[in-house]
Amino acid sequence: MVTYDDGAHASPSASPSFVGRYLFSTHHKTIGLQYLWLALVSVLVGMVLSTLLRMHASWPDTAIPFLASVQNAPERYAAIRLLHGSLMVFFVLTAAPQLGFGNYLLPLQIGSREMAFPRLNLLSFWMTVTSLAGMTASFFRPLETGIHWWLASSSIFCLAALFSALNFTVTTIDLRAEGMTLPRLPITVWAWFLNAILSMLIFSVLLAGCAALLSDRLLGSQFFSFASFLASQPLNLVQQDSLPVLWQRLFWYFAQAEVYVAMLPCFGIVTHLIATYSRKPVWKERVVVLALCGVGLIGFCVWGYHMFATGMNPYAPLVFSVLASSLGLPAAFLLASWLGTLWNARPQLSTAMLFSIGFISLFIAGGLSGIFLARHDLRTAAVSEDFVIGHFHLVMGVAATFAILAALFFWFPKMFGGRLNEPLGKLHFWVTFAGVYLIFMPMHWLGLLTQSRLLPDEQRAVLAASGASVRTLVTVATICTVGAQILFVANFLQALLQRRSVENDPWGATTLEWSIASPAPENNFGSALPIVYRGAYEFGEGHTNDFAPQHLAPELLSPEGR
Amino acid sequence: MPGSTTTPDIELIVEKKPSDGGVGNLPPVDQDGGGDDGKRPRRWKPSPKRYYTGMALGIVSILMFFMALASAFLVRRGSGDWIPVHIPTLMWFNTAVLVISSATLEMARHRLSQGRLSAYRNLWLVTTALGMLFLVGQITAWRQLVGQGIYLASNPASSFFYIFTGAHALHLFGGVAALLFVAKRNFDQAQVSRSVASEIASYYWHFMDALWLFLLALLYLGK
Repeated sequence: MVTYDDGAHASPSASPSFVGRYLFSTHHKTIGLQYLWLALVSVLVGMVLSTLLRMHASWPDTAIPFLASVQNAPERYAAIRLLHGSLMVFFVLTAAPQLGFGNYLLPLQIGSREMAFPRLNLLSFWMTVTSLAGMTASFFRPLETGIHWWLASSSIFCLAALFSALNFTVTTIDLRAEGMTLPRLPITVWAWFLNAILSMLIFSVLLAGCAALLSDRLLGSQFFSFASFLASQPLNLVQQDSLPVLWQRLFWYFAQAEVYVAMLPCFGIVTHLIATYSRKPVWKERVVVLALCGVGLIGFCVWGYHMFATGMNPYAPLVFSVLASSLGLPAAFLLASWLGTLWNARPQLSTAMLFSIGFISLFIAGGLSGIFLARHDLRTAAVSEDFVIGHFHLVMGVAATFAILAALFFWFPKMFGGRLNEPLGKLHFWVTFAGVYLIFMPMHWLGLLTQSRLLPDEQRAVLAASGASVRTLVTVATICTVGAQILFVANFLQALLQRRSVENDPWGATTLEWSIASPAPENNFGSALPIVYRGAYEFGEGHTNDFAPQHLAPELLSPEGR
Repeated sequence: MPGSTTTPDIELIVEKKPSDGGVGNLPPVDQDGGGDDGKRPRRWKPSPKRYYTGMALGIVSILMFFMALASAFLVRRGSGDWIPVHIPTLMWFNTAVLVISSATLEMARHRLSQGRLSAYRNLWLVTTALGMLFLVGQITAWRQLVGQGIYLASNPASSFFYIFTGAHALHLFGGVAALLFVAKRNFDQAQVSRSVASEIASYYWHFMDALWLFLLALLYLGK
């Protein structure tokens, strides 16, 4: 009867070779950490690239690596931008919150030994690595072949993301421990689960788009040959530079939703952390879950508003504008819940909590400028390169990075043992927090004043000259903020070198991963899978230690908690 | 509840293993972190339900891929350079082959439920052979089109024609591989029974069948 063997990966005694244990392990915790390392390397390279971009924008005459040495400077500038964007969006914002923390924590939080399909998980990790290698290689190719490499790599990334999303969804549906009913799921698990469903839908669409475009370029098929397509469109809707409309539509279909793919798990992480550090239940937990569903659903429908400038159905903008603005509704619910949880709490201001609060601040600041972009009548004034860059870096890039850092400070004891240094972490937080506002707030201003389409050209020229000093400020702030990340790297490496086992539950958190040793043992829960008796956020007065973990049986609960 | 079905399985296994020495008697919740009694890892057997869920979600995902292409097809069709592709007669014959293969697959599963293993095997192999025949038929139809001078790069309509039929053939090829895998697999040692594996493979196969009918209708009516 007992014939199924789950292989060497779950058996600590078998101790396979380094390659089997770390490179080709099918274990969810190993794979989760591998994604996090991948994200760390990508974010460091991506930040250096952004510094190069800023330096070139401010001081175009200075010799900058990859720009000055190559004859075709504008092309290389575009290539650096593409690499910066690809690394950050694919391998940091998509990989870290969902694939990194999700792979590590989802099975732990639902009380499972593994993901549903461990080998599929391994496959998608190595496909992600292949895609990263391909995108990096595309940077060193000439433009024409570089695009081919990039497209092929992003197709591979789409496939990998599809496999991961399948794994996450099935794991959440079928592998929950006994008693882990849907209302008892931690918000983090909800976020990973909903995000996986969203990814499963949109990455298929991008895969179709990439495959068709690649076939156009390599095999000469005519999916996106636009001369004739544009000729059939009404003249006033066609841009002069003959934009590849259909490709754009497919791409934005993906990219708009991709913003929510990056943000959804961050919402989950921040909600979870704020409740834990405030020692209070999540305020209106069900509404939060519904709001997360709403973000996913509306995010999926909202792609059209990116098409205002490229001319689709002239009547559609209003519809999409309503949809885009209605995203504010679930966002407002989430915000209300975070503030409601913080209300009257005496939050423990650890570094992880600071980064969570920083996330809220950035989310509000970036979200407010998003209103300008969602209103189709306001966007004429607002849409300019600097404004859009400022907006989405605040709300997507930096906010998500803050959530990632918060998660790292929070789960470091469980993942590696030991803790990150708190004073150093707080210094890093404040420097970074001030730095990102100094970078991206002036960019909104630059965009509105110096590039607004509402102003006549001669006025714009005057303003553009006055914008130069602001542009320099942004660049200097970028260099300082990127440089300050050395604080984090030093903190992280030092804590890794001094790792030791710590108590199971250093933060007084309730979810299942804190019921086992820190760092987490290889077979997760050992011989007995946990049974869940209660919701994920039972904090506050009335419990012995001011909280009741999910696995605490009712008969063990202290009398005053009944 | 899906989650609740896994644990009883595990408890059962644990109790049946004498070498696990009383692990089954431990309280279900280990307050100080568990794992300390795991000198030997206990066998972990997740519910086979995950294969059903996985297949259902995989089908949704594949459907989304084809829907993206279909919406691109409908948009692109409006442009001036569209020269419709006439569907080769052979493809109608192929369609019949695929529909029949779905029927034989169901007949095979019916035989399996009656316990007639050899009849099941034969019908299963007939299904696989029909699937291969469909693929060969599609390749022949492409060669006929090429003979008429219609290539992938000829015009947008032919591009879409080839990508729809090609992507479907690629997915169906995966289906044939799955059928062969189920036919060759030794189920004595497996986590799932033969009937479960056959059922899951049949979902995919019927989906491929229905998808083909949809694509054919799209190409025929939308040309």
